[in-house]
Amino acid sequence: MTTALAESSPVHVRAQQLLARLRSIVGDESVLAEQAELLVYECDGYTVEKKCPDVVVFPTSTEQVQAIVQICNEFDVPFVPRGAGTSLAGGCLPIGGGVMIALTRMKRILEVNLRDRYAIVEPGLVNVHLTQHLKGSGYHYAPDPSSQGACTIGGNFATNSGGPHTLKYGVTVNHVLGAEVVLPDGSVIQLGGTVEDVPGFDLTGLFVGSEGTLGICTKVIVRLTRDPAAFRTMLGVFETVSDATRAISEIIGAGIVPAALEMMDQGIVSALEQAFQFGFPLDAGAVLLIEFDGLEVAVDEEAQRITALCSQSGAREVRQANTPKERQLLWKCRKQAFGAIGRLSPSYCTQDGVVPRTKLPEILEFITDCGQRHGLRIVNVFHAGDGNIHPILLFDERDAEQVQRVLLASDEILAKCIELGGSVTGEHGIGVEKISFMDKLFSPEDLAVMKSIRDCFNPTGHCSPGKMLPTSAGCGNEHLPKTKPGRRAAL
Amino acid sequence: MSALDFTPATQLELSRFVAENAQDGRRTLCPVGGRTALQYGYSAPAPGTYVSLGQLNKLVDYPARDMTITVEAGIRIDALQQALAVERQRLPIDIPQRERATLGGALATNTSGPRRFGHGTFRDYVIGISAVDAEGRLFKAGGRVVKNVAGYDICKLLVGSRGTLAIVTQVTLKLRPLPETSAQLWMTIDSFPAIEQRLERLLTSQARPAAIEVLNPAAAALIVRSARCELPVDAPVLCIGVEGSAREVDWQLETLTQELSTTGLQECRRVREHEADRIWEALTEFQTCADDPLTFEANLRPSQCMEFARRATQLGVAVQVHAGNGLVVGQLLEEAATIDKTTAVLNELRGLARVHGGNLVVLHCDAQWKSHLPMCGDPEPSWGLMKQLKQKLDPHGLLNPGRFVDGAMSL
Ligand SMILES: Cc1cc2nc3c(=O)[nH]c(=O)nc-3n(C[C@H](O)[C@H](O)[C@H](O)COP(=O)(O)OP(=O)(O)OC[C@H]3O[C@@H](n4cnc5c(N)ncnc54)[C@H](O)[C@@H]3O)c2cc1C
Repeated sequence: MTTALAESSPVHVRAQQLLARLRSIVGDESVLAEQAELLVYECDGYTVEKKCPDVVVFPTSTEQVQAIVQICNEFDVPFVPRGAGTSLAGGCLPIGGGVMIALTRMKRILEVNLRDRYAIVEPGLVNVHLTQHLKGSGYHYAPDPSSQGACTIGGNFATNSGGPHTLKYGVTVNHVLGAEVVLPDGSVIQLGGTVEDVPGFDLTGLFVGSEGTLGICTKVIVRLTRDPAAFRTMLGVFETVSDATRAISEIIGAGIVPAALEMMDQGIVSALEQAFQFGFPLDAGAVLLIEFDGLEVAVDEEAQRITALCSQSGAREVRQANTPKERQLLWKCRKQAFGAIGRLSPSYCTQDGVVPRTKLPEILEFITDCGQRHGLRIVNVFHAGDGNIHPILLFDERDAEQVQRVLLASDEILAKCIELGGSVTGEHGIGVEKISFMDKLFSPEDLAVMKSIRDCFNPTGHCSPGKMLPTSAGCGNEHLPKTKPGRRAAL
Repeated sequence: MSALDFTPATQLELSRFVAENAQDGRRTLCPVGGRTALQYGYSAPAPGTYVSLGQLNKLVDYPARDMTITVEAGIRIDALQQALAVERQRLPIDIPQRERATLGGALATNTSGPRRFGHGTFRDYVIGISAVDAEGRLFKAGGRVVKNVAGYDICKLLVGSRGTLAIVTQVTLKLRPLPETSAQLWMTIDSFPAIEQRLERLLTSQARPAAIEVLNPAAAALIVRSARCELPVDAPVLCIGVEGSAREVDWQLETLTQELSTTGLQECRRVREHEADRIWEALTEFQTCADDPLTFEANLRPSQCMEFARRATQLGVAVQVHAGNGLVVGQLLEEAATIDKTTAVLNELRGLARVHGGNLVVLHCDAQWKSHLPMCGDPEPSWGLMKQLKQKLDPHGLLNPGRFVDGAMSL
């Protein structure tokens, strides 16, 4: 345990009792409590704030999750679910310490029913494993976050993840039929089902995206989507970012809904080139990765229309992937963009904001200015068709002053998103990172209703404390400098 | 006691009225839109105040290039669709009685129709919402952008909540382009098992239908009559709808004809242009068109639907199946017009639906029957939790009390 209290102190004794109880549920090997082992769990993909949990447990069944939650309640300690820990908003940060419930060992595919187009999976299943499992069946699981090689379906459920193909196919919630959840009081509940339109409120829809604050998801029933009959993948090369954004507006304005429409700016393209030598033009201001899918009879015609619209908007060239291999290469570079950033900088902060698509030129210009003002390098790779930006701010974590500039610049960019009629998160969630934005996006009334909802399911607040909703509305804590938390030790 | 009426001109006026009501009087409130689905749920609207959203019908913001629109909840569906058609866009949800139904009402009842197979339902299109809660607080959730995960998704919660959690005042929708054209393939087929074979074939069809409908002869006759079309109705019908460019539509009709012309096929017709539009409309209206005593909806797994339809046909029910989604709309015909007979039929069919976790709810029936029938179906495992939520958000039970899960629990 992390507490440095004397062994005879009541707190210490209680902590030992808690550990013993947890071990009796999941076995010794599935409980981590040594400082060195816990270090891995001090943060997720959001590395600005860190805090070790007091214990990490690895249940393998719903019953075990239930027992763990009941024990936490009995001992009055907070608990937080964790999937793969790829959250970029600090969703897994164990505020107040306590028990981290890692779901990565619950990773079975329980059922695939192609006739009725659903699958039932455990929450720790890695997203891409479901896709691989379905290969050749004519069906797939549509949400495809760029992190799909690592992130879990449970994490996707909790954050309502999107991905490049969200533009046409929607986000996680559009593909979830139901779930099994261990509620914060330790009861198990079935939401939705394998059938549509279960009578009652759409609690499934409410729980998706609730960032672990309403309970721990132990099973997900997902809808399977028919594979596209045919697709065409294109790469539009533009002199400037504003030409590229104009092309997006023209394509959408023409009534075409591509399956995916992703933008990469010069900064990211050159990093990718250094890393993988994909053969991208280094002097282009921006490239658009466009995928269109539909019927074989229609895709070529649409591809021509898209090419023409890109050219009208000033594209220097539009390349088309002519073989599956070429297509794969284009997507590989998009999905590895984050990996390539390691070459540019020791640390980086991926922001997530949304603007109406027609406001993309404005926000991108603002980001460039903002980077210059703060002396930061910012590169962009994002879901342009949805207006979902991901400016990546490069910095060195060891330089505290730089970290402050990154936080400041991030805040300015997000504030601008709100000003342009957008949101501060399109897919990564509020977590701890964006809590101070909630009262800028929502009124006290909005937040009060959300709080009633949380209180209804999570009255003690032990489940994922300190996430998503500001604790005391309107306290203006955005002016306080962000620090490393460690706000209150639970044990 | 007769109900009072209140018709606010602005959201603020509504908010003030509800706040005052929560302070003193505490009359029950029944939000109404186009009055097309007021009979849904357990009890008839309790005497109290009808809050009409009729004047909250303004178009607030329509940035067509962003493919979103923000409108007040009282806007009529036809007015909404007309505004969108100008920009060659639409909300691709089939809503009956569109010249009367309002967006708020359609959303609160989670209305949908045949094309939910290709396009989904309200939960897939509502991206932002404003509403007044039982205390009179005007609140919002979501926003005006197509992708947004800030805060709880209360939009999902209010879709289908039948006005029992809050009064929806304003909605932002995600939109889709209007297709160039559409058509249907209308096939009469020997038997339901022979249709099931085709439904299985459709799972891996080269085409991408927008709707897969199955009708028994009784339902087919009603639909053909209301669409004023000459189509065969003397056997079960498989009706597949496709949308897209003329070329896509032609290609799909051709492909589907080839894929599905196996044993058991009687006649195969292609329905196009204006006739196709009228068929879409008739398929959409079926759920509310009844003069008959009772309309229900069952939700099952798609694979169970044909067996269900076969049995329902034997029991004298006219059935329309949204076969890709596993939803069955049934109308009990005149013969079953006693409460005993009706109860027996519904119990048997509900039993069939329950086998794999489905259910059966009554959409419309004689008001006097309501207290004898499980209007919202058998209790679902999460109803206890829903009741808690209702209590939390509406502690005095002012909004449509007893109409939905809260009413179900007291049975
Ligand atoms: C390189 C990179 C690319 C990314 N690209 C995308 C992208 O394209 N789209 C996108 O949406 N996101 C993206 N993300 C963010 C992240 O991958 C997603 O949010 C993902 O869904 C998190 O899954 P996870 O299993 O890692 O969850 P974690 O990070 O472990 O947890 C995320 C949140 O969910 C909660 N949680 C986890 N499991 C459960 C459960 N079973 N029950 C209840 N709550 C639970 C946690 O408490 C936490 O709040 C990216 C991240 C990285 C690092």
